[in-house]
Amino acid sequence: MILITAVCSAVCPERTAGCQAVSDSDEGFEAVARILEARCISCHNVNNAKNGLALDSRQRALKGGKSGEAIIASDSNNSLLLDYIAGPDAEMPPSGESLTKEQFNTIELWIANGAAWPQGRTLAEDHLNDNSWWSFQPLKKCIPPTIVSESPRIADWCNNEIDQFVLDRLLANGLMPAPNADRATLIRRLYFDLIGLPPTPAAIESFVRDSEPDAYERLVDELLASERYGERWARHWLDVVHYGDTHGYDKDKPRSNAWPYRDYVIRSLNEDKSWSQFVQEQIAGDSLYPNERDGIEALGFIAAGPWDFVGHAEVSEDKIDGKIARHLDRDDMVRTTIKSFMGLTIGCAQCHDHKFDPITQADYYQLHAVFAALDRADKPYDLNPETGLLRRGLQLAIANAKEKKADLKSLIENKIKNQLTKIDAAIEDAKAKSVGTSSPAFGYHSQIDARQDAPKWVQVDLGKAIPVRQIVLRPCKDDFNNIGEGFGFPVRFKIELSNDSDFEKAIQLVVDETGNDFANPGLDPVSFSVSGEAARFVRVIATKLAPRKDDYIFALAELEVLGEKGTNHAALAEVTALDSIEAAPRWSRNYLTDGQFIESLAQVEKLQDQRQQLILDAMTEEQRAEWKASDSRVLAAEKKLAALPPQAKVYAGTIHTGSGTFLGTGHVNGQPRPIHLLHRGDVRQPADLMLPSAISVVGLDKHFELEAGHDESQRRAALAKWLTDSENPLTWRNVVNRTWQYHFGTGIVDTPDDFGRMGGQPSHPELLDFLAMRFRDRGQSLKSLHRMIVTSATWRQASSAQASVEMQARELDSGNRLLWKMPRRKLEAEAVRDSVLQISGKLDLSMYGPGFRDFVLKHPEHSPHYEYHLHDPDDPATHRRSIYRFVVRSQLQPFMTSLDCADPSIQVGRRNQSLTPLQSLTMLNSGLMVTMAEHFAVKLAKRHDELDVQIRNGFAEAIGRSPTVAEFQAIRDVAQNHGLANACRLIFNLNEFSFVD
Amino acid sequence: MKHLAQPPGLSRRDLLRSCGQGFGALALSAMLASDSSGLEGQSIATKPHHRPKAKRVIQLFMAGGASHIDLFDFKEALIKNDGKPADFGEKVEAFQGGLGPWKRPVWEFKPYGHSGKMLSDIVAPLGACVDDMAFVHNLTGKTGVHSQGTLLQTTGFNLPGFPGVGCWVSYGLGSVNDNLPTFVVLPDHRGLASNGAKNWDAAFLPSQHSGTIIHPARRNPIHDLQPHEKGRYITDASESDVRSVLSQLNRQHSLDRVGDARLDARVRSYELAARMQLAAPEVLDISNEPDYILDAYGINRSVKEWPKEINAREEIHHFGSRCLVARRLIERGVRFVQVFSGNDNGFPRRNWDSHEDVGRDHGPLATGMAHGAAALIKDLKQRGLLDDTIVLWTTEFGRLPSTQGGKGRDHNPFVFTNWMCGGGVKGGVTAGESDLWGYKPLDRDNPTQVYDIHATLLHLLGFDHKRLTFRHNGIDRRLTDVHGHVIHNLIS
Repeated sequence: MILITAVCSAVCPERTAGCQAVSDSDEGFEAVARILEARCISCHNVNNAKNGLALDSRQRALKGGKSGEAIIASDSNNSLLLDYIAGPDAEMPPSGESLTKEQFNTIELWIANGAAWPQGRTLAEDHLNDNSWWSFQPLKKCIPPTIVSESPRIADWCNNEIDQFVLDRLLANGLMPAPNADRATLIRRLYFDLIGLPPTPAAIESFVRDSEPDAYERLVDELLASERYGERWARHWLDVVHYGDTHGYDKDKPRSNAWPYRDYVIRSLNEDKSWSQFVQEQIAGDSLYPNERDGIEALGFIAAGPWDFVGHAEVSEDKIDGKIARHLDRDDMVRTTIKSFMGLTIGCAQCHDHKFDPITQADYYQLHAVFAALDRADKPYDLNPETGLLRRGLQLAIANAKEKKADLKSLIENKIKNQLTKIDAAIEDAKAKSVGTSSPAFGYHSQIDARQDAPKWVQVDLGKAIPVRQIVLRPCKDDFNNIGEGFGFPVRFKIELSNDSDFEKAIQLVVDETGNDFANPGLDPVSFSVSGEAARFVRVIATKLAPRKDDYIFALAELEVLGEKGTNHAALAEVTALDSIEAAPRWSRNYLTDGQFIESLAQVEKLQDQRQQLILDAMTEEQRAEWKASDSRVLAAEKKLAALPPQAKVYAGTIHTGSGTFLGTGHVNGQPRPIHLLHRGDVRQPADLMLPSAISVVGLDKHFELEAGHDESQRRAALAKWLTDSENPLTWRNVVNRTWQYHFGTGIVDTPDDFGRMGGQPSHPELLDFLAMRFRDRGQSLKSLHRMIVTSATWRQASSAQASVEMQARELDSGNRLLWKMPRRKLEAEAVRDSVLQISGKLDLSMYGPGFRDFVLKHPEHSPHYEYHLHDPDDPATHRRSIYRFVVRSQLQPFMTSLDCADPSIQVGRRNQSLTPLQSLTMLNSGLMVTMAEHFAVKLAKRHDELDVQIRNGFAEAIGRSPTVAEFQAIRDVAQNHGLANACRLIFNLNEFSFVD
Repeated sequence: MKHLAQPPGLSRRDLLRSCGQGFGALALSAMLASDSSGLEGQSIATKPHHRPKAKRVIQLFMAGGASHIDLFDFKEALIKNDGKPADFGEKVEAFQGGLGPWKRPVWEFKPYGHSGKMLSDIVAPLGACVDDMAFVHNLTGKTGVHSQGTLLQTTGFNLPGFPGVGCWVSYGLGSVNDNLPTFVVLPDHRGLASNGAKNWDAAFLPSQHSGTIIHPARRNPIHDLQPHEKGRYITDASESDVRSVLSQLNRQHSLDRVGDARLDARVRSYELAARMQLAAPEVLDISNEPDYILDAYGINRSVKEWPKEINAREEIHHFGSRCLVARRLIERGVRFVQVFSGNDNGFPRRNWDSHEDVGRDHGPLATGMAHGAAALIKDLKQRGLLDDTIVLWTTEFGRLPSTQGGKGRDHNPFVFTNWMCGGGVKGGVTAGESDLWGYKPLDRDNPTQVYDIHATLLHLLGFDHKRLTFRHNGIDRRLTDVHGHVIHNLIS
């Protein structure tokens, strides 16, 4: 797609390259097209045809709608369209002004003249052709304005280019910046901003006293170099990608290998990786950084969001419910990618072209095609890249040796073709018997029971009493829950004969396996000799059921009852059972006697061994030696493989090779699923097949290139490169804007997740482009961007302006978008919790690894219950930084949630900020606050003997300054009357603890 | 009929001010401040769009998929054809797969009230209320997966990340009580239903609109309502002193920093918290209710320990307790109470997901539900509260008219039942029928969807569902997405 100019867009057919020659009649049409696209198409197109009328193609327009023919060429009198749009009170368009007389005339004339419509031309909503919105424009090179002033306060105010842009706007609006913040304020602000923890009184003291001119810059560098920095800023990114440690949805199972991705983010930020690399690793690290640990762990990005366990693990992909679940799953991958990196709300294009932004439904489904091979699953990888190289080398060696054997084998096979014919036929025959029964009828399946010792029985009616010589039980095979062969075969059972169908009298026990557990036979038939007792009914009673999945069943493929002559008298006999699952075509009690069962593969294997021997016998000495050498190479490599350190796992977007209903694409070598555009987003209405691509309007189509025969990871690699293309204007603006927002509370664009038309306009567009371009072209270093921002005079302003200025400024700019003072920060949930732990002396700074669990897990086997109220707040394992918290989706952590931490089920580019009674209750009463206040008191009492000192120091540690006389006295009174712990709890609840100037 | 006192045309701000300094007012005052740049809530709703008929809602949610054909939707054809091979006339994609013969309703049906509405014996107590109830028998869902089905009914979307219907009501109506949350959730005593808190989270709405979970039986029925048990150093006297010093110091802090209303709002949030600490135990203490009320709700005062197996008496007691607490909550100004019946979909069945045996598993739950719901409706009515309180009964989907081979029924997202009562709902009517078997809507082209139920709910509360919106990530989100029609046949 090219960037079309405004003039060109009116005459360029949508989404074709270049302009065509325009004929006169076409020109008449184009005037009509402009009106239709602006006013009619949104409700009258192929995907959304109100009253059956679509006006987006010639064929559809001429066909008309439910009311009749809208347009009859050359017959304006009978064209219904004109009736609907005529006059100032016209019925159509239903909203907005009616068409002008001139517009009406244009359409009328066009119809009268034959309603010419250029071949193949289709219309689209006006905005789909319109990329004039600011965020789609290329980055502009912006020169920082020069500030000229007589006043030294103004002339000398700027520290760097940011300040020039900001001050220029302030002055233009008759505003002045606030005074500089003092050093004690600055260090507290800087600590929370960069590392999310408060400075100690000693650190404050030393900075306040540091008289070197670069004292502040050194402090900034020191904090940026701290590992605490990555822990603080990773949380921002994890909000955006909606990272969680459970799946969400129904059952909400723990996701025990999600954390390596979280650690990857922390590490990457601390390493100050270039933004391109950070983006590329997360979309296609396996392809672009194949030999690196980060390249795999980063793929946790694709899988970070919720996953519908039941929709995948219990519903297969060919069912409608299964299709919906997988569509929603990919939808999350697509939306997360585009929103995180570009700030566009592409999800809107799922059912129809985007209503406001130039994003078509095709754009959306082309992105689905990029992720079409993936599922969310644990992905094994080597922590040490050298191990990975070794592993791949060994795997290659094995593959080569096996290939060599295969070559040799086919050579010999050719040579002894005739000899093999007979045995091949025998193998085919055996195979057909083992799996080839054309019937999918599995057999009898009892109802599912929660108890293993619930007795179940099934019986056959032989029609008349027959002497029984042998009873054969044939087991089932079902891949449910990976059980496979021997599915449902009872662990303990007995077989009885009787002539009473209710087995109430004259029962003969002929088989008793109720004393010990019976080893599961796989698919081998289980045969019992009987000494010729005669009976009409044979009943198999399971006394200990077979485990299925947290529950128990009894299943059999076939029951054979052989008489004197070895005839099976049970064939097609009537079957009754205590209970059964009637789920044709697979399960029905009648299938117990239908002659359909799967034979063990043992016979096939035996024949194959014989065939192998024939081949070996036909080899020359040399060939045999070569064969053996290959064999030993395979063995040796396999041995080495087994000796390698075990692989780690990360929950990631990956090719999944599964079983049951959650198959994945591993079985077809990761071949992407075909993706169709879904009419109205409905999986039952697939339209055109979609090829992988990115969003057309950005104008970088040629930057998304795929060779024929590409593998799936190349699709993602192409997207990753497209996202990080230096000409992609959204990516660079987006990252700079997000970063700015975390420093100032509000972004230059106040809608970080929506750079589209419904989003905001930048408050300082030139500054945004200046920063974006500088970031892009100078190493893409976040740390350098942080440094520039926090050393600016803008960021170093006080958070209160002088009273006179405040009045005037609020009048003019109540939202402080022009930054006439530094916005005061309300501490985030993580910062509050981490500070409380640090100040109480309990913070455990150990990094990385599985998350700590501040809940008690109940019923993990089915639907886990995460019980936060049962957690012991004194458990030291849970005193780590909040970034290492095990994040549950279905049951949110009450303390963090009431303090507005991000909801892991949605992408949060900017957190809500609230002040509620529940938040006050949590700050006063939660286990964390109540216990930590006491620990804080104990710590102070250990360090200082006098209460006055305890209080002064405690206050300084928590608030970052000495208390005033009034504060000191009020708090000391509480401590004297109610103990130091109550005073500490009070300090934690001060406004000044939660708000940072 | 009672109406909101405010005449149309009063601004939202006036409305909230006149309602006292409730939760909504708190966010609003913060929003008016200059330093509120990070505070959400900018798009707090405008005034009601039209005269409301209802002021509050109690939603009864049956987790797991309650069978419409065994409870409320009488199908004679199933009795006639019981046990005969089921012919749906098309391929049916059941959730677990494998369909047995038609299965008659587990319980007998009888007509009730002037309307002669047929109800199953297992929900007989509701017979006395049918002339106040309106049934929708042609509700259609999107999938037969519990999680998605539940989310669709509770939030209007079949994926997580959207506010619960109660959050929208809270957001639209604001609070009339300073001391209690606007939206309260009373989960099943055994645990949360599918998706847990995702059914009532505020998602992108300001967090004060989240459903607040109340566990009446816990030491802290609302999380952190009272100090954690480890806070033995906290006494009534210390609490009083700490609060007073805190208020004094925080006020000074706020005075020193002009123009940041959040600081003052925080002081007031502590005052509200203190009032909630008094109000919540009062509302949950049902011991002062007269005996005839406790008896009506089936609340047990003698059994000390319940049997391990699920049983009807216990179900009546627990569900009745939740219904009674719900009534006490709405009496004190709570706008939306969501009452759950049923835990997750595990074994043994403790919710409505009766794949194995409808009679065994629906029986005790339905007895408890019908008893409590009938008591609630009658109690609201005698207090004059039913006029402006909507009771909405719902579930994530129904169950199929055939068996699964045994005594159970598989999921039926194609058609199921809702009923509504009170708050301007017309009594004794049915809006929307299911087909002969209770398999799909009778008129397949015009089913009722959850959007229509939600649109009707909001309509009764005074809102045009298309105009109650919140801007999030560039989209004006609404409860009904891009769908929804008010069901006028249900409105009196």
